[in-house]
Amino acid sequence: MNRNGFGGISRRQMLKAGAALGAGAVAGGLPSLAARADTPELTMWWWGEQELPGLQAFVDESVKAYTAATVKPMLQDTAVVISQFQTAAAAGEAPDIQYLWNGIYHMESVWLGYVKPLNGLVKDEVITSSNPTLLSRYGGNIYRLGWYPLPMVWIYNKDLYDKAGLDADNPPKTWDELLAAAEKLKSAGISPIGGGIQDGYWGEWFAGHGFAQNVDSAGEIVDLFTGEKDFREPRYHAHWVKLEELKKAGFLNPEISSTELYPGIDLIVAGKVATGLSIGSRLPADSKATGGRIGVMPMPVYGPGKMAGKPILDTQGIGISAGSKNPEAAAAFLEYLNSPERLKAFYDKTGWLPANVNFDLSVVEDASVRDMWQRWGLSENIPYLGNLVPGQFYEQALLPAAQQVVEGKITGEQAGELAYNVAKEWREFNPDIVENYKTWAVDLAG
Amino acid sequence: MTAIPQPAPRRPRPDLALKHAILVLATVVALAPSAFMIVTSLKSDAEYTLDKVGLPDSLVLDHYRSVIFESDFFGWMGNSIILAAGAVALSTVVSCLGAYAIARMQFAGRGLLFSLSTSLMAIPPVVMIVPLFVLYTQLKLISTYQGAILIYAGLITPFSVYLLTSFFRTLPKEIFESARIDGASDLLILLKIVIPLSLPALLTLVVVNALYVWNDLLIAIIFLQDDSKRTLMAGISVFQGRYGDQIPLTMAGMVFASAPMVILYLAFQKHYIQGLMAGSIK
Amino acid sequence: MTQGSRLTPYLYVAPLVALLLFVFGYPLVRIFEFSFKMVRGIDGPWIGLRNYDLVLSQSLFWESVQHNLLLLLAVPFMVIWSLLIAVVLYERLKGWKLYRVVLFLPYILAIPIIAVIMKKMFQFNGPVNEVLRWIGLDFLALDWIGSSDVALWTVMLLIIWRESALGIILFLARLLALDESLIESAKLEGANWWQRLWHIIVPQMKTVIEFYVVVSVITILSAVFAYVYVIGGGRGGPGTSTMVVELYIFNALIRTSLPGIASAVSVMLFLVSLLLIVPLFAMRRRANEEEMG
Repeated sequence: MNRNGFGGISRRQMLKAGAALGAGAVAGGLPSLAARADTPELTMWWWGEQELPGLQAFVDESVKAYTAATVKPMLQDTAVVISQFQTAAAAGEAPDIQYLWNGIYHMESVWLGYVKPLNGLVKDEVITSSNPTLLSRYGGNIYRLGWYPLPMVWIYNKDLYDKAGLDADNPPKTWDELLAAAEKLKSAGISPIGGGIQDGYWGEWFAGHGFAQNVDSAGEIVDLFTGEKDFREPRYHAHWVKLEELKKAGFLNPEISSTELYPGIDLIVAGKVATGLSIGSRLPADSKATGGRIGVMPMPVYGPGKMAGKPILDTQGIGISAGSKNPEAAAAFLEYLNSPERLKAFYDKTGWLPANVNFDLSVVEDASVRDMWQRWGLSENIPYLGNLVPGQFYEQALLPAAQQVVEGKITGEQAGELAYNVAKEWREFNPDIVENYKTWAVDLAG
Repeated sequence: MTAIPQPAPRRPRPDLALKHAILVLATVVALAPSAFMIVTSLKSDAEYTLDKVGLPDSLVLDHYRSVIFESDFFGWMGNSIILAAGAVALSTVVSCLGAYAIARMQFAGRGLLFSLSTSLMAIPPVVMIVPLFVLYTQLKLISTYQGAILIYAGLITPFSVYLLTSFFRTLPKEIFESARIDGASDLLILLKIVIPLSLPALLTLVVVNALYVWNDLLIAIIFLQDDSKRTLMAGISVFQGRYGDQIPLTMAGMVFASAPMVILYLAFQKHYIQGLMAGSIK
Repeated sequence: MTQGSRLTPYLYVAPLVALLLFVFGYPLVRIFEFSFKMVRGIDGPWIGLRNYDLVLSQSLFWESVQHNLLLLLAVPFMVIWSLLIAVVLYERLKGWKLYRVVLFLPYILAIPIIAVIMKKMFQFNGPVNEVLRWIGLDFLALDWIGSSDVALWTVMLLIIWRESALGIILFLARLLALDESLIESAKLEGANWWQRLWHIIVPQMKTVIEFYVVVSVITILSAVFAYVYVIGGGRGGPGTSTMVVELYIFNALIRTSLPGIASAVSVMLFLVSLLLIVPLFAMRRRANEEEMG
């Protein structure tokens, strides 16, 4: 499970609902009355047990063991993570510590003035090692600590690669190699590439990977929305053209259009489709189910951009609200969560890695998981550009475009046209947010 | 309606065979989804993958166990019951009072109130959601039972008023007059005479309105965002996404979710059919 | 009459008026207000007709409208199918009461439940296509929910399947109330089954058919949210092929944070539903009169 997977209402929908709640209300500057009590009291609203069972045990244990402050945790429902925080912030009743998804999902709270910059509050070393990714940066400040990572990966079934006479330990690195492999898989009677796109999210992931191929910085993607850059330019819709290529060559699994995201990944694990998109946090389970026969790779390279072919790392994070009466104590607790002992406890309780690079990887038993983290977390990586997309574009272009390309209804070029039009509509519908995006683009270009 | 069926002629009737064939075809079409749902819910995942249509080799009850013990179905049903009961109760009380006044009392604006209220039946609920969502956000009524009950009660009330007013008008005048001579107050007449006489209409009303609340998805999704307040219909849309790859499990969930209404239907066919016919505008 | 008793009627209708004002009155006033504002969160500046401008020049909006209109094509099928079944049931063949119970079942199942079931049945590798391939109709084994050329028709099929049950019951009730002597005398005069159907039965059912048509039109223009929400993966997909006006409003409010836009579309839908109220109540009154007299 990841942020997209949970139910009818995804976090993005709720982000938008939440923005509705928060925006417009006066973000009253609360007098900062530092609590004078001996042990400060902190409230912490968090999420994640839903996608990472065991996280609750970790939080409970951490809170119990922590002596410098009394922390009261509350596990939030998926649907209200953003709206509940923004409403509370608008009403001046935000928690001290808040769980924050990456990119635009927390940037709106930043723009509304609900979240405190962490630089100067939390030790720089902790901020950096926690892997918050570039997308937590705005106006020169950083607003989140990384908590646990979501490597965005392409996966492939090694047994099927073997069966088709491919080298399962050397998956395709370039797009041409991918096409050659797909050809071989196809002639061996195997569905080469795919998954499920009926609920749309597969299209987000595909574009999230594809965006990186032809750009040199994350800011360039933001420019596509502010109008500085143009989706009709071939390099900016090349990923949809590539998708069209896969479709036309008959490389996509025939049931992709009527299958949903997770059942689609299960097809790869079950040996029915050879290659597809997934997230790293699924790997421990999928690797176990196949006896270590699921391999991971970055999207095969077709573009000349600086970000092409680099591993993509998204990170779930945590921050401090602007209304916190005791931000120093909150910062100290976050530093505690990033201590080596707590990082180990995180793994023990959840079976998944914390985002911090100081985590001692040797405790992880599954070699494929270790290997993935070495490449996605500890080597040079890039942020997940799917987190830069405005909601309206997400709904009206990102998901529908991919669905229609996959079923052969439109070409990649037409998808670019659609994207251009929707981006333009977004600017017309949301003149006030465009300004924030422009500032953000400058930050991300750095 | 008391017509006696014609004695069937003895000679072969090709048209009779055709008519039977039509009914059988219609029955197959009407039952196919339910049959698929029940049969599939009893298969193992592996068997479903191999055979999506046939009968199960052996009955697998694991999916039902999962639905009952590992999902939130009971919680969702509980929420739906609370909302349906609350909204129907509120709407019935408000409508009985209002309809009684409209049917039996003289006051300025009576006709206008009745026709306005009646026309509201044709207004799509989706038209009302934006201001209510904004208002509920300000009043902190999002994800509260009372907030949702208020909206549901409002949405079903125009129909209740319409039905009850029409029914109250058919009650003979003499009853009211003799009661009044005996010195009974309006409230007493309503409680002791009108309502007991209107029980069939009220039962029909309860059936239609409860079904409306029970089956709604739109209001449930928007106004009950909290996991613990989720209704059965909203829960189902989550459930099918979460276990999308396990179709037999999903179908066991659907059997479970549809059982209450199907059982009630089979037990109270007459009220269902009358009620839904009367409420067909909803 | 005392002062108190003159006020009594108002006390009785006060809760009703309050409830209706809250759930209908307040929102209906505010959608007009919001539709002229650029709303962020709970309010925003006046921008005149800009929301209407934006919506009316957006192709997605017109697609949504077009899809609602296309779905109206379901109505004739619903009428014909319901009429056929009702007339056959009226013959009171052996077991007709049991058939009646069963044929009404589709209307008992909640839309989200039946949509989930149908969605699984109509998957590309699902049972429907399996059967079609098995009986040699491979060309009919479409990607029912995965193709944007087909998905709306799949939704329509589902609507016909469920809403026809209501038609059957309505029509049968009317038939059972018909004056049988007319049919008997036609029979004696030698009219065959079709003649009796067309010249005796259908004319007498005119009002109930009209009523059913208007009710179905209202349903399709303003109450198909649950169908498309489930079948279209929550978003009116694939592509935008099952996007309808209700879902457009829902998305504008919940997913893209544009309450002003949602309000402008709500106003337009409200005005359309006003237009339908007049024929609806004319039909309803006539249908009722017929039933009573």
